[in-house]
Amino acid sequence: MGTEKPPFLGFGLGLRPQHYSEILSGSPNVDWFEVISENYMVAGGQPLRMLDQICERYPTVMHGVSLSIASTSPLDLEYLARLKVLAARVKPAWISDHLCWTGVHGVNLHDLLPVPYTKEALDHVVDRVSQVQDILGRRLTLENVSSYVSFGQSEMTEWEFVSEVANRADCWLLFDVNNVYVSSFNHGFSSDDFLNGVPRDRVVQFHVAGHSHEESHIVDTHDHPVCPEVWDLYRAAVAHFGPVSTMIERDDNIPPLAELVEELDHARGIAREVLGAPRLEAAE
Amino acid sequence: MTGLKQLQEKFQRGILAGDDKILSEIKDSAKEERKTLFGVYRYAYVARLAEILADDYEGLHGYVGDARFAKLAKAYIAAYPSDRRSVRDFGRHVPKFLSESDLFPGHPELAEIASLEKALADAFDGPDAEPLGLTVLGEVPPEAWPRLVFTPHPTVLRLAFSTNADAIWSAVREEMAPPKATVLPERQIVLVWRQDVTARFRPLGPEEAMMWDEAVQGTRFGVLCEMVATFAGEDGAELRAASYLKNWIEMGMLAGYRVE
Repeated sequence: MGTEKPPFLGFGLGLRPQHYSEILSGSPNVDWFEVISENYMVAGGQPLRMLDQICERYPTVMHGVSLSIASTSPLDLEYLARLKVLAARVKPAWISDHLCWTGVHGVNLHDLLPVPYTKEALDHVVDRVSQVQDILGRRLTLENVSSYVSFGQSEMTEWEFVSEVANRADCWLLFDVNNVYVSSFNHGFSSDDFLNGVPRDRVVQFHVAGHSHEESHIVDTHDHPVCPEVWDLYRAAVAHFGPVSTMIERDDNIPPLAELVEELDHARGIAREVLGAPRLEAAE
Repeated sequence: MTGLKQLQEKFQRGILAGDDKILSEIKDSAKEERKTLFGVYRYAYVARLAEILADDYEGLHGYVGDARFAKLAKAYIAAYPSDRRSVRDFGRHVPKFLSESDLFPGHPELAEIASLEKALADAFDGPDAEPLGLTVLGEVPPEAWPRLVFTPHPTVLRLAFSTNADAIWSAVREEMAPPKATVLPERQIVLVWRQDVTARFRPLGPEEAMMWDEAVQGTRFGVLCEMVATFAGEDGAELRAASYLKNWIEMGMLAGYRVE
């Protein structure tokens, strides 16, 4: 199994169909792309053709939204088989999904639903991650999600839960900076506690994104530019974790590519300030 | 303590059926009540799926307008909870739902517009195959032509419309006033397929539709010519058959041939 820590890829973007032609006809200052796995589980046509062309030119990682690793329904083996086929095509630097569940009894709610931070849930998720890693023949990368509710039965903090999953299942972590910010606001914990609470050597990717503020709570909508508070947390994350492959994630209200490249440049600037150009270049 | 399985079932029922039992498992936050917080998931579920339907059935949405489309989305989301991993598949039952529901009585064109949009989406990312080229066919010796059998491109889908749904859809897409919906005296055959990376459709006249249906069942070209002659007269029958065939090839609707 691929146990070596994936390389630092630099600064990337989520691949969105609106930007296919701009990416392929120009040379945007983007080091790598993240593709949504489910969007390319199709028979043929333009999506796979574009995917092949992007993969020829850029390092790529795969990001899923429906693995449903924490669901108590059986693992979807057909989905995993398709994921494996896609991985053989893309040859991603890593494969990620979310530390959440998306439905039970054959229903997919198409949302990243929260898990109670209990020992029972922990054992369940660890066991499932191990199964998935055995099937895929590689380590999985799991992302912390934004959540709006917390469960009375939780027995530990989110970062304790995330850390235990990563250490016991021996998987990587995608540290979503925006999600930490959103959840810390919604549940009233310190984002620094989260940051300091997860194992540094497990984090292989950062997501940075925007959200919608509803005064009493924040909703993780990925439809806005990154806000100053999330940039501050990103700065702290870079200082804490060192050079980690960073990606701007925009899923809705998608702006022209240049606007996202500008946000990416902002992330580059922060990383350079925090780490110093020599350390960043050495990592690249 | 409620086990994980029961907790997830309660949570899901809370989203799908509006059941509030899950609220006893959730805490108020310092700033907000649990019902409002859980409401984020309830709202997001419906909003997300409605947005997916509006994207997938853009033409239908344009034709019926926001209010009627919202009514359709609400009813469909309640009737067909998503059971696939990809959101791409969520709206696949919309044509069937529209043809069976009494949501919009007296509007058979709606299900057909939806089936055209679904077919275009299916063709868009359907299987790849090298289309048959005219030059390849040109290498077949003339005496073998009557024994030619054709294979359609794997993305080709055949629809049979009882209304002018295709004309309505085209007008809506071009932001023109759609023609009045009419029930046709005879079924209109419409073929949908992908040429290179573009999903296309084409209504077929009765003779061409007959020839297509026979061709994809494996009828030899010689027999197809005879059938065309029987259909609309012997005069120029071979020329008509050859012309249909040429069109199909030029438009990428065929993927191969064999000589039987």
